[in-house]
Amino acid sequence: MADRSLVQIAFYAALVAVLGLVPAIYLPWTGPVPITAQTLGIMLAGIMLGPVRGALAVLLFLFVVALGAPFLSGGRGGFAWFYSTSGGFLIGFPFGAFAAGLVMRATRELSVLVSAAMAAAIGGILVIYAFGVPGMAFWGNMSLAKAATIAGGFIPGDVIKVCLAALIAQTIARGLPSALVSRN
Amino acid sequence: MISVYLQGDSWAHQVPAGLKLLAVALASLALFQVTSLWVYLICLCVVLLCYASLGRAGLAQLKLLRALSFFLVLLALMHWYSDTLHDGALAIVRLLTMVLAANFVSVTTRMDDMMAAVQPLFRPLALVGLSPRKAALGVTLVLRFAPHMLVVYGMLREAWRARTGSRNSWRLLAPFAIQSLRMSDNVAEALKARGGADGLSA
Amino acid sequence: MALWPQKKNRNRPRVCDPDARPYAVFDGAGLTIGGKQILQGLTLTLQEDRIGVIGLNGSGKSSFVRLLNGLRSPSDGTLALFGAPSAQAEPELPRHVGFVFQNPDHQAIFPTVEEEIAFGLTQLGAGKDESRRGARTFLAQHGCEQLADRPISELSEGQKQLICILAVLVMEPSLLVLDEPMTSLDALASRRIRDKLLSLPQKIVMVSHDLDHFDGFDRLLWLEEGRLRMDGDPDTVREAYRRDVALRLGSEQEPAAL
Repeated sequence: MADRSLVQIAFYAALVAVLGLVPAIYLPWTGPVPITAQTLGIMLAGIMLGPVRGALAVLLFLFVVALGAPFLSGGRGGFAWFYSTSGGFLIGFPFGAFAAGLVMRATRELSVLVSAAMAAAIGGILVIYAFGVPGMAFWGNMSLAKAATIAGGFIPGDVIKVCLAALIAQTIARGLPSALVSRN
Repeated sequence: MISVYLQGDSWAHQVPAGLKLLAVALASLALFQVTSLWVYLICLCVVLLCYASLGRAGLAQLKLLRALSFFLVLLALMHWYSDTLHDGALAIVRLLTMVLAANFVSVTTRMDDMMAAVQPLFRPLALVGLSPRKAALGVTLVLRFAPHMLVVYGMLREAWRARTGSRNSWRLLAPFAIQSLRMSDNVAEALKARGGADGLSA
Repeated sequence: MALWPQKKNRNRPRVCDPDARPYAVFDGAGLTIGGKQILQGLTLTLQEDRIGVIGLNGSGKSSFVRLLNGLRSPSDGTLALFGAPSAQAEPELPRHVGFVFQNPDHQAIFPTVEEEIAFGLTQLGAGKDESRRGARTFLAQHGCEQLADRPISELSEGQKQLICILAVLVMEPSLLVLDEPMTSLDALASRRIRDKLLSLPQKIVMVSHDLDHFDGFDRLLWLEEGRLRMDGDPDTVREAYRRDVALRLGSEQEPAAL
């Protein structure tokens, strides 16, 4: 089923791209930090496709961005953004999807909702920040602790995305079970 | 095609994509060996001159700085607070230089040419069965799916609005995913009917 | 988990004869998907140039035509395509059987018309420039050279479907299978597409809900609940089908019958 794999990978890469086009929202209790939907796509890619295909989907997304497509949140495109303070996060994306896929697979016996929430939290927050914060410290010429303080402002928004990812995964698992490739 | 590419015929458009990419890669390595703010500022000026050489449309590309501004302000505040302003200035100028330089390549290189320039990098992947052809097809499919998904979302939103009166809801996300997944199944079938990602060549 | 199955052996001898008549022989063929019986007990021989397929929604028409190009494989009985058992013929089928889908948006992959047509040629092994040139020549042969550089998304529905048909024809299949190709087209566009189809040298198997589309066809198959209900010349089958629909309208008023 190589064709289907390729199409699935491309599909989730496009999903990450489209979610990047969703305008950032600002919530009163998260302060001035913009919340974008892009990492929601990263979480979903790992949750739905499993580790390998999920990571490949995100790599394909990053590749298309690097080629110049304006698919990063806020309509940014080109490989220039790998050089910015968010560069570490971008590099963390495929690892995050991979981790989310692994968690999904390891918690097979749990309900999709619980398992997807764990996958999204570990892959979509923990792993991505593990790359993003050092990247930010490096490009921003500051200590890890300071970078972590800045990045910490994004966590509330990410928690919302974890909930959304879990709800969406559960709904898809009910409406189109075959799409939950990670568990097939 | 959807891209940050700027249609044009300038000197920068005519430099081969591979050369431009190599220049940026070397520049990023070199810039990290330097710690003098003055050198950075000169580099930044050179990059800005590159944009200026493209004319008004080129300078308009500097609008991407707006997307960076949030972080740059945060960065500056952080360094001001901890009294490391020199480090902060260094970081900000270096960041601006690299982002603008890399973006200059994207702005002056067609996506096709960029793809062709990086194609050789995919050769090792053939060992795991991932042919460059598949990577290219993957890119095409992403560019094909993304606008289509926006159309699907628009239609769902219309139907939702007709029935509830409200404009948007996160509840649309799951049906959106399901509908676009069905679409991707159809595309997979159509691709298979035409011989699949590997082609039919004997 | 094998992510990308390694390429199949390409040096296998060819088993299909694209000019074979009959080109498809069903013997008790059936299809079960996920425990659901989609098709059953099909025994028929296809050799005519123009064959139509009709039936209500869910009667198995789409699955039936998908058997012809290997998108589905029979789960019981046997099926021979182009003189070879379907399992052996399968890898060669995309070359001999062009498949046109109901919705052109699902079939067209590439941004421009030229690239869409050229894809068929690269599938057959042509290089990038060669296939682009070939695509232009082919479009000119079919009077569509002015469309070459147009983005597919900006074409009219009729033009889109025409391009999808050409994208398949460029691979020079011997059989063209169409699954409700005219559903999204207006009366004028669907008439034009039908005339185009009838002018082609290819053998054609076409599914449609519009019975008028089968004027000039040699044979019409009527599927019902996965079985062959009737098989014969278009006029006879169409007449019987119309009577049956009228009869059902009279007897069934329940939404469950929709």
